[in-house]
Amino acid sequence: MTTQQVVAPEHLFFEAERERQFMTGSEAVREAIKRANVDMAISYPITPQSESMHLVGDIYAQGYLKEYFRGESEFAVMAAVAGAAMGGVRVFTATAGPGTLRAFEMFPTWAGARLPVVCAFMTRGVNSPLTIQPDTIEMAFLLDTGILMFHAENAQDLYDMILKAFVIAEQTDVHIPVGVFVDGFFVTHTREEVATAPADLKLPPYNPYSAPVPVMDMESVPVRQMRDPFVMKSNFISYAAHASWQQEILAAQERARKHVRRYLGGLLEAEHPEAAVLVVAAGTAVSQGREAVAAARREGLEVGLIKLKSLRPFPREEIRTLARQARALIVPEFNRVGWLAREIKSVVEDTTKVIDAPRVFGGMTMPPDLILAQIRRCCA
Amino acid sequence: MSKGLFRISPGFEDVMPAEYKELVTNGPYGRDLGVKDLGTFKELIEEHPLCAGCAEALALRLILASLPSPEDTVIVGSTGCSSLLFTQVAVQNIHSLFGNQNAVATGLKRALRLRFPDKVKDVVVIAGDGATVDIGLDMVMQSWFRRELITTIMLDNEVYANTGGQESGMSPQGAVLYMAPLGKKFPKVNLPEIAREAGCAYVATISPALPRRLGKVVRRAILVAREIGPSYVQVFCPCPTNFKWPSAQVLQKIRDRQKEGIFKVREYVSPEAEAYLAGLEVERQHDEQE
Amino acid sequence: MTNKSRTFIRMSGLGGQGVVTAAHILGVAAVKDGLKCVVNPFFGAEKRLAPAESYVRIAADEIWERGEVLFPNIIMIFHPHVITLGKCYTMPFFAGLQRGGKIIINSDRPLDLREEELAQLKELGAEVYYVPATQTAVEAGGTALSSNIAMLGALLAVEALVSPEAIRDAIAERFGGGKFVASGTTAALDDVLKSKFDRLAQLIEKNMAVVAAAQGRVSKHHY
Repeated sequence: MTTQQVVAPEHLFFEAERERQFMTGSEAVREAIKRANVDMAISYPITPQSESMHLVGDIYAQGYLKEYFRGESEFAVMAAVAGAAMGGVRVFTATAGPGTLRAFEMFPTWAGARLPVVCAFMTRGVNSPLTIQPDTIEMAFLLDTGILMFHAENAQDLYDMILKAFVIAEQTDVHIPVGVFVDGFFVTHTREEVATAPADLKLPPYNPYSAPVPVMDMESVPVRQMRDPFVMKSNFISYAAHASWQQEILAAQERARKHVRRYLGGLLEAEHPEAAVLVVAAGTAVSQGREAVAAARREGLEVGLIKLKSLRPFPREEIRTLARQARALIVPEFNRVGWLAREIKSVVEDTTKVIDAPRVFGGMTMPPDLILAQIRRCCA
Repeated sequence: MSKGLFRISPGFEDVMPAEYKELVTNGPYGRDLGVKDLGTFKELIEEHPLCAGCAEALALRLILASLPSPEDTVIVGSTGCSSLLFTQVAVQNIHSLFGNQNAVATGLKRALRLRFPDKVKDVVVIAGDGATVDIGLDMVMQSWFRRELITTIMLDNEVYANTGGQESGMSPQGAVLYMAPLGKKFPKVNLPEIAREAGCAYVATISPALPRRLGKVVRRAILVAREIGPSYVQVFCPCPTNFKWPSAQVLQKIRDRQKEGIFKVREYVSPEAEAYLAGLEVERQHDEQE
Repeated sequence: MTNKSRTFIRMSGLGGQGVVTAAHILGVAAVKDGLKCVVNPFFGAEKRLAPAESYVRIAADEIWERGEVLFPNIIMIFHPHVITLGKCYTMPFFAGLQRGGKIIINSDRPLDLREEELAQLKELGAEVYYVPATQTAVEAGGTALSSNIAMLGALLAVEALVSPEAIRDAIAERFGGGKFVASGTTAALDDVLKSKFDRLAQLIEKNMAVVAAAQGRVSKHHY
């Protein structure tokens, strides 16, 4: 193991000289965790996630993490991760598709308990008959769990977003979990160039006492002394407690915006935002969109590309503003339901501008030609 | 927790509740108290919101009085009647979800060992029979397989009481309960045997009708889990409300069941745990002589 | 998107033949030569002798798209059974081939392709090449496990996409360095391969001999 030196997050993210290496998305996860000063990681196998957590296990064996083990199911892993976070350590895990659904009850619990867990979701289909193919449907289910959601386009994003996720999640005014989403196989198993900071640098350690809720370590005075547990009964104190807590989680998401802007450089990225036709996408759909937009611009078509990086918080105002001057917003997606188009429609003033196509699902690669066809249609 | 932390900031004495002030001046932190001392110190639990005559509430009161180091104990609970009571307990406690208590405790215990390598932090799971033997059995047993250094205590009230009286795996065979309208078809799950086979170094069954014995069992279970391996205590405390017994008769019912041989007090101690506990006992006697 | 300055390759073979490893080595070599490259395997369970595919995109400029290569200009068939027994998820084996594209088949004799397939290939202007890759690997490298390296040698003969030096460095990195961690069945095969050679240097030299030998044994099919 390389001896590591703690540096400021800003140095690790923006200043340290980077080296380009040819690696898979799974290897990018390893490189991020190596530099993230993670105390504990808990794993459970599921395709296409397994390789990432194998590699995290390897760097645990090398000494980069203090604790690592395989749990018994995704629900148990997410529960153990919660216990570890409540105990005051920085913790990481990853899952995919069916694993996400198996563990689902834990995600709103993480948010409600204000746990700064970082979890990578390597998206995968969840339908019957059994599939292991890429599909982003699970993201639709997670939108309202209270967790922050970043969507990586490629292995570079995955590396950067995981590291930045820890820093954003652990801000005292945020302190809720972050899911870093990445399209299974399309990124996890794809080999491409990734620029990483030197491996002898790492993030500052997590300070559990920066949490806005007590750490469960009996190092602070236990809070108690309710005469009746109002939270489980019908009364106005109970309603007020639960309602205000839900609002507080939403407020924490809102407060995360400034940190997302600072560390991710914005909730979205825009290329040629002045164009009349915009391709608006997240994840692998952005990569396929880039190809289509480049080809369309070579044909002289006026088209721009909007890459959504943060889905929670959602770039509400940014999209509304971009949509005002555009004639059409093409939303390509890797799922059947078109949840991203729905999200976009919920914030734009004129929903008829939103074209919820093309969509592929079932694991197929989206040919950029399909997006190009939509662009041509909108520009005609 | 350093005892110095637990005091009232100057100027706030008059606004703090009386029971809190009492906990500061006469609480059990760092004092090595037990069941025999009940009545001489301020207990960790303040009143309780459970039914009159609830054997589980009594069991919990005894358990809390028996913690060897309440100042360094974190309790992990689960959904059920007992979760209503933890809000009134003066040690940090976690309620996560229904059934995942041993998985939460696993992460917590490992985190505390990382953060406090030179200090003992006891992690004690206290959950009902439904949480332990039905919905959470997988995670309970897996934590034993992994030899997690945690103590698991089941409050066996023989029914899903908090949801209104449904059959659980620990209900007696033949009991007519909700979701068992024709009576339960299979016997109580033999979790103590399973615990032993699954790797627990200490296993005991006990009831609150034997308070001092319960105190000793809980203490031994927690001590074993510090060094030797996982421990399991099953506390027999049937629910008077759902079995429709008068509140005052619960302890008698427990004693009757014991007399009939339906409920048995048992203890299994692995050879390593036995040697470890004997060593602690020698140390303790030595300390007392000094 | 396909265009003239980009090479899109589909490698089809049987599980255990090293189509993913070949794509990996080619990709690393391309990057070493200063090219842009995206490599990905087919998405599925890796099972020995079951159909396996991998995809390589190489260009001088940025490539963003990923996933299966639907419209390759080079198709590499690592085993005759891909065609003759249909051990392939892409049927027919030349589905999606761009006009004027190239096909390299591992076989020591020309395959008995069906009339209509030959007619379609001819119509596409496809160039079909044969190379006895397995035989070459055994003869020059001493093990059939180097068949995938022989296929890379054949590729260099048909299209000089990357330099032999870059291939050498990529092989060294793949099998010798601590950087790459193979998983599961791939790791098991790596160990078998490494056991065939006494030292890493010998592994590299033998495999480079396989590359060179395969380059000289490519024959073009004439319609």
